[in-house]
Amino acid sequence: MAHRVLIIDDEDDIREVAAMSLETVAGWEVMVANSGAQGLTRAATYKPDAILLDVMMPGMDGPTTFRELRKNPVTAKIPVLFLTAKVQATDRRRFADLGIHAVLVKPFDPLTLPTQISNALGWK
Amino acid sequence: MGDPTTIAEALNQMWVKFLPDIEQRVAVLEFAATAISEGALTAELREEAVAAAHKLAGTLGTFGLDEGTALARDAESLYSRDNLSGPRLDERATALAAQLRAVLARRT
Repeated sequence: MAHRVLIIDDEDDIREVAAMSLETVAGWEVMVANSGAQGLTRAATYKPDAILLDVMMPGMDGPTTFRELRKNPVTAKIPVLFLTAKVQATDRRRFADLGIHAVLVKPFDPLTLPTQISNALGWK
Repeated sequence: MGDPTTIAEALNQMWVKFLPDIEQRVAVLEFAATAISEGALTAELREEAVAAAHKLAGTLGTFGLDEGTALARDAESLYSRDNLSGPRLDERATALAAQLRAVLARRT
């Protein structure tokens, strides 16, 4: 059965390229949201197998969105991977402390993004 | 596994679709560089420049433009500095924006 992944990112181009990658390369089902608030609603509705979450977004940023996902029993156990263009060692420690499963770095290679996600989540 | 040629074609179509947005981000950096040279960079424009550079850094490499990502990261670092009054900073900011514009032209 195909994995179901929710992509939450305010940038249209990144969202579309990532969605195309996961659908075309891996054959996964992809849902998208263009803000943290929309992502919370869609995560609760669709209950994806994993969430790819942008860190820097206007309004509700990635860490805040993640904390809200954890507060809702419906979405609390969904694995979340951060996607960010800027990550330093201190950020990685901070994200790990939050409970993030993995941090993926932009830019990403559309051909290998599904493999990065699979490896991070132990999907075969 | 998707065919790499199909992926490349899809990426090319998305590049065309999103090029106006990408060019707009470079335009923000060009405007900010001009503002530095004129001593007129506002806090708001500086924030816009940081955001534009950050987005370019994340996007350009995804379209195969690793050089663009490196330049955008330099620009993000420049506009994130505490002090923007260093020597030849305006020249550096202008050069980065021009180099980014050239990278886009080569992909286009």
